[in-house]
Amino acid sequence: MELGFTERQREFRAEVGDWLAAHVPAEPLPSMDTADGFERHREWERTLAGARLSAVSWPERYGGRGVGLIEWLIFEEEYWGAGAPGRVSQNGIFLLGPALMAYGTEEQRRRWLPRMARADDIWAQAWSEPEAGSDLAALRATARRDGGGWRLTGQKTWSSRAAFADWGFGLFRSDPAAERHRGLTYFLFPLDAPGVTVRPVAQLDGETGFAEIFFDDVYVPADQVLGGVGAGWRVAMATTGSERGMTLRSPGRFMATADRLLALAGGSADQALRDAAVQARLDAEAYRLHAFRAAERDAPDAEASLMKVFWSELDLRMHETAMELLGPRAAAEPWFDGFLFALAGPIYAGTNEIQRTIIAERFLGLPR
Amino acid sequence: MISFTDEQRLLATTVREALAATCPPDAVRAAGADPAARRGKAWQALGEVGLLGAHVPEEHGGLGLRPMDTVLAFEETGRAAVPGPIVETAVAAPPVLGVVDAAAGWPAKIAAGRAAVSVRTRDVPFLLDADIADLLVVECGGGAALTSPQAAGLVRRASADRTRRLYEEAARAAAGAGSAAGADAEAVRAAFAYAFDHAALAVAAQLLGAARHLLDAAVAHAKRRQQFGRPIGSFQAVKHLLADVAVGVEFAAPVVYGAATTLGAGAPGASGDVSAAKVAAAAAAYRAARAALQVHGAIGYTEELDLHLWLARVWALRTAWGDDRLHRARLRDALLGPAG
Repeated sequence: MELGFTERQREFRAEVGDWLAAHVPAEPLPSMDTADGFERHREWERTLAGARLSAVSWPERYGGRGVGLIEWLIFEEEYWGAGAPGRVSQNGIFLLGPALMAYGTEEQRRRWLPRMARADDIWAQAWSEPEAGSDLAALRATARRDGGGWRLTGQKTWSSRAAFADWGFGLFRSDPAAERHRGLTYFLFPLDAPGVTVRPVAQLDGETGFAEIFFDDVYVPADQVLGGVGAGWRVAMATTGSERGMTLRSPGRFMATADRLLALAGGSADQALRDAAVQARLDAEAYRLHAFRAAERDAPDAEASLMKVFWSELDLRMHETAMELLGPRAAAEPWFDGFLFALAGPIYAGTNEIQRTIIAERFLGLPR
Repeated sequence: MISFTDEQRLLATTVREALAATCPPDAVRAAGADPAARRGKAWQALGEVGLLGAHVPEEHGGLGLRPMDTVLAFEETGRAAVPGPIVETAVAAPPVLGVVDAAAGWPAKIAAGRAAVSVRTRDVPFLLDADIADLLVVECGGGAALTSPQAAGLVRRASADRTRRLYEEAARAAAGAGSAAGADAEAVRAAFAYAFDHAALAVAAQLLGAARHLLDAAVAHAKRRQQFGRPIGSFQAVKHLLADVAVGVEFAAPVVYGAATTLGAGAPGASGDVSAAKVAAAAAAYRAARAALQVHGAIGYTEELDLHLWLARVWALRTAWGDDRLHRARLRDALLGPAG
């Protein structure tokens, strides 16, 4: 649908579109979950950063352009519409970045944000543990005071990008007497620190998109605590809101997928599949309109859960429809990689079962 | 962008309050048995707050509003399940009468709350509430037929919702019969197309409002109803069922509001946007109705509870002003072109 953009917003769209048309690699980059592909994606991030396009909504002093959410959504529409590479800096820019903005000291922001925007540091999240997945508050990794700093011990898992990333962020239990979400602290740590062991884990596509991270008495100075000792849960929840909502998965991505799906379905005589493609385009448009509305007002936190359920299931439906349209030739197409990736959507950033429970309890007010 | 002004919200609040006072569930229920109830206190109240004349031009005493101005108000009429030909009178009739009714002054009567009009375009098979209308407006051949209910020889047809009576004319009017002489055929065709899109959008808004009511009712029941010593809303199966209803409603709403924006702006492709809105709102409302019935269980399957009034309304509105098949076909044509 045609939305009423301002003259400045249209100019911004045109500038971004022109830049992308001139710079997006003609050939797809190798997978970011290979050593070579990871560095190729880092180079692409640096090219983006050179035009101050890697984190447009950040303040200029940290490497952004200081534009609003609407402009960011416009950027995303152009970015995915242009078929630009996946964002290897995703977890840093969209998950840690907002948390640093909200809870970091100015010194911390200046230390990490500009390097993050330029992909000098690529960040991996370290939330889950073997015994703490959906039930994140059950986490066991500990942080023990040591002089002016801390010692981290324990194990994190399903850490995306950690096989090749530079830094990690995650929660550790800093008060052994406290239970559940109390007594947790949010730490930032280099993945090459003494005592850190990273073990890559191959995903469904055979590439090492995951890693386990083992911490053996890893020393972390006090200035790598984000948001204060014991405040980890609050800081992390601010981050997971970004992860579940539109800042992780902007509508531009799904609009681009829906348009490619329409093009694919246009060549088919199968009425059911044509209708499925039309429905997918309608749903992608619904997500887009919802996002533009949400960007104009203060959306409640539980809305991030509504969005997460919607986009993850939409993405999977679109790729399932593409699999059906392609039939036995599907595995040879880029759609198949997209299908494998879409299968992860209902699992990561809080499973959709957890999201539905959050929607029911916090959005609808049903009893626990 | 899609945001509402204070004035637009105020109209919706005014309608909501007026209906809270004049359209309790008993009034909706009464409309199933008593023909006059479809033009009772709620109808009068909607005339007084200006909704019936909202789309009548100002020179005829209306408010001359656009879809974005009234979409939230129509949502409220769906939330309250108001009976009567509101969309037909307030939304579908004025653009057609603006072209074919030069002298009779029907738009002014609508704006004054003194006329109820039933309207049928070529894609709408039935005349809603024709028995209590003052005027019937029918698209036929290349023109418009304006007749009185008494002259039309009305035949009642089955309706999924007893508070919405459906009629066909005994002998479908011949082209141009009764229509104002000299009305340009192309202008009449365009007026009916305009009426169809605007009415379909208003019905989409009503479906959204009905869906919101059904979700609220199901949540309230799930909190109250105890089984196994706990409120049934504490069970995960019930929570997830209702969470999916919430997702459906939340993502249908912006499609309806977006279509109101583009339709009011006369944007190219606005008809497709209306079809998207109707399909999305109908799906969300149907899912809400289905889940609300399931959560209420056997008591929901009775006429003793008010729930059935909204269930029937959703079933009826789903096919009003274009059913899913029609609107999906319009979307297919807009997005994929004719089937190859």
